[in-house]
Amino acid sequence: MQLTKPGAISLALHALTANLFVAVAADAQDTRPPSVESAEAPSVNSDLANDQGLTRLDSAILFYQEAGGRIRATEPVVSGVLNGTAGETLSVRIVADSLTGATPNGAAPWTGPQTFTTPANKPGSTTTVTTASGGSTLVTLPGSGLTARQYTTPAGQLPVDAGFRDERIGVDGACSTPIAENTRVSVGGAYSAERDYRSGSLNAGITQDLNQKNTTLSLSANVEFDRSFPYFGTPTPLTEMSAAQKGPAQTKTVYSLVAGVTQVMNRHWLTQLSYSYGDSSGYQTDPYRILSVVDPTTGAPLTYLYESRPRSRTRQSLYWSNKIALGPTVTEISARGYEDSWGVKSITAEISERVPITSWLYVEPQARYYSQSAADFFRSYLISGQALPAYASSDSRLGKFDAETYGLKLGMKVGGSGEFYVLGEDYQQNGRNGSSTAPGGLAILNTFTGVKATSIMVGYTFAFY
Amino acid sequence: MGELSRVEDGFLYAFRAMASPCEARIETDDPGLAWRLGETAEAEAARIEAKYSRYRDDSLISRINRADGPVDVDSETAALLDYAAQCHAISDGRFDITSGVLRRAWRFDGSDRVPTPEEVAALAPLVGWDKVEWRAPRIRLARGMEIDFGGLGKEYAVDSAVAKMMALADVPLLVNFGGDLRVSGPRGGGGAWRVSIESVDVAGTAEGLIEIRTGGLTTSGDARRFLLKDGVRYSHILDPRTGWPVENPPRSVTVAAATCLEAGLLSTLAMLHGSEAEAFLASEGLQAWWMR
Repeated sequence: MQLTKPGAISLALHALTANLFVAVAADAQDTRPPSVESAEAPSVNSDLANDQGLTRLDSAILFYQEAGGRIRATEPVVSGVLNGTAGETLSVRIVADSLTGATPNGAAPWTGPQTFTTPANKPGSTTTVTTASGGSTLVTLPGSGLTARQYTTPAGQLPVDAGFRDERIGVDGACSTPIAENTRVSVGGAYSAERDYRSGSLNAGITQDLNQKNTTLSLSANVEFDRSFPYFGTPTPLTEMSAAQKGPAQTKTVYSLVAGVTQVMNRHWLTQLSYSYGDSSGYQTDPYRILSVVDPTTGAPLTYLYESRPRSRTRQSLYWSNKIALGPTVTEISARGYEDSWGVKSITAEISERVPITSWLYVEPQARYYSQSAADFFRSYLISGQALPAYASSDSRLGKFDAETYGLKLGMKVGGSGEFYVLGEDYQQNGRNGSSTAPGGLAILNTFTGVKATSIMVGYTFAFY
Repeated sequence: MGELSRVEDGFLYAFRAMASPCEARIETDDPGLAWRLGETAEAEAARIEAKYSRYRDDSLISRINRADGPVDVDSETAALLDYAAQCHAISDGRFDITSGVLRRAWRFDGSDRVPTPEEVAALAPLVGWDKVEWRAPRIRLARGMEIDFGGLGKEYAVDSAVAKMMALADVPLLVNFGGDLRVSGPRGGGGAWRVSIESVDVAGTAEGLIEIRTGGLTTSGDARRFLLKDGVRYSHILDPRTGWPVENPPRSVTVAAATCLEAGLLSTLAMLHGSEAEAFLASEGLQAWWMR
């Protein structure tokens, strides 16, 4: 090979060496030519760092609090990744949740007080369940002998069920191994259990590196089986809220497929595009959620019906993310478009920027914007006398809203191999479901039940061979 | 097991590997971390030495050299062989991992035993990467041929050790295996690492001081390995294309580059350019220091 251009050999050698370290996945460091002026700059390709034999552990606790005395959650998480010496990886994560607080029950607010009556004991049990906290009372309904739980929402306020309480424990794990020089397969599974819900899933995937590992194609499939067994049974959709025990447990099955491509554009830019498709069938209604049926003239609540959602839902989304390292900072910017067969369309845009302050301290401000359209069957309330729709839900998560999240992460190296981090986030849903054409007194009330929440996560991560 | 001692701004972990004194300088106040990082460097040096040393019968290199037929290699070795093949191409055959066979004729012990042209010519059929059958992952050497990673194994080990240490902890560090070194970046506070170049005349005395903030640094030379006959100094830098020492190379060349591996290849190539070494360094626009 003839190389006569000045510097040609060292340039060629630089490229060859960079390729070598990508090939052996050993270069965790910037490989720019040295310069007296050059500050330390992270390389976006540091994900390719040779982790052979490395074990990484992460433990964190998340505190989440919704404004207005609504849901409060505490969530400890422990996770670990073990890397074998031949490229195999094993990852395990255990998470526990404890949720308490008040959750909107789905009824529209009203200018007068509203009283809600719901079953109090589990099917088949003779003792009452003492979830009756937060202002509700247990009553025995005259004539029927049924014990019911009742709670009253003051005039003008959003009806919430203050008796909400749940614990969840979840475990998931995955292992992956190379099966050929540029091919890797993975299998994994997850299981989670709540008081009234169980979910289990299995997944398998394959990734293929091309183009000297600058391009990675991936494909994964997931199947999930869920079982819902509400405290007092499953209500028949669009029947009247009552203290009577409800029907049997329900199941749901979800199949999903994700295909993606990851491309190293250059040493400072990594981009990823993925498409996902999911199909869920089975019970997808919220068994605890009701809708008000209001008087067409006054807007006053007449009865409350259990909500109803279609048994089938297909979703698809397209996600594009970029990791850009320029100078000492690392920017992550992503966008996602989503739509489903329920008529919900959404977009998400997110940006974060990691800025080193000193060699042992960094800050990472982050911002996310989200906007969605309402599901076809979203109703803030139903109007008495009108034909009953097949499906109806007042869940604000199915309504039109947008949301903003602002967060700040602070990371501090501890003892060299450890990192202590704190992430604070403020989340605000914005929407307004009220309408001046709403019947009677509802016209002056905002039926939007969106969330404003603050969360803080504190964690510690460290690695060792 | 190495020895840990406290030095200015951190710790020095010293050990022996690859027939050389090795060290890791680690800027931290945490002796436990310094131990772990030092041991990581030592383990990586030991791993690569065990895998690639031509002095060890059980190494992969020895197995390839002994094999009377094809050998399938793992992906790391395949990447290194590809790299060696590409270096052979861009250096017009000057860099050649099959050249070790020439040591059968040339023994650089400071004596005057210069081989005869016939002795050297007899080895010519056994030298030359173009005679090797290599198609990843399979390599086959002709009988009598040998390969070794002498020109790149130690440098590769340095880069690899630094990468592993940096995956463990983000502290400023320097790894030096027998004079081939790499730094993780600037020292704490942005300062430079100071590296002294050993004198070619008196071992243990310094000839110059270099400051580096990033990348790798290596020195090639023939300080104490040469033959002297009839007033002619025969350098230990052999040109694999002729089987004879290159003419009038500098006594030492030190090159700074992005990685230790690149620095090592470039300093070796400079030496292989003999009397043209300085011209080579200048035309490549390298940060380099040399001694005549």
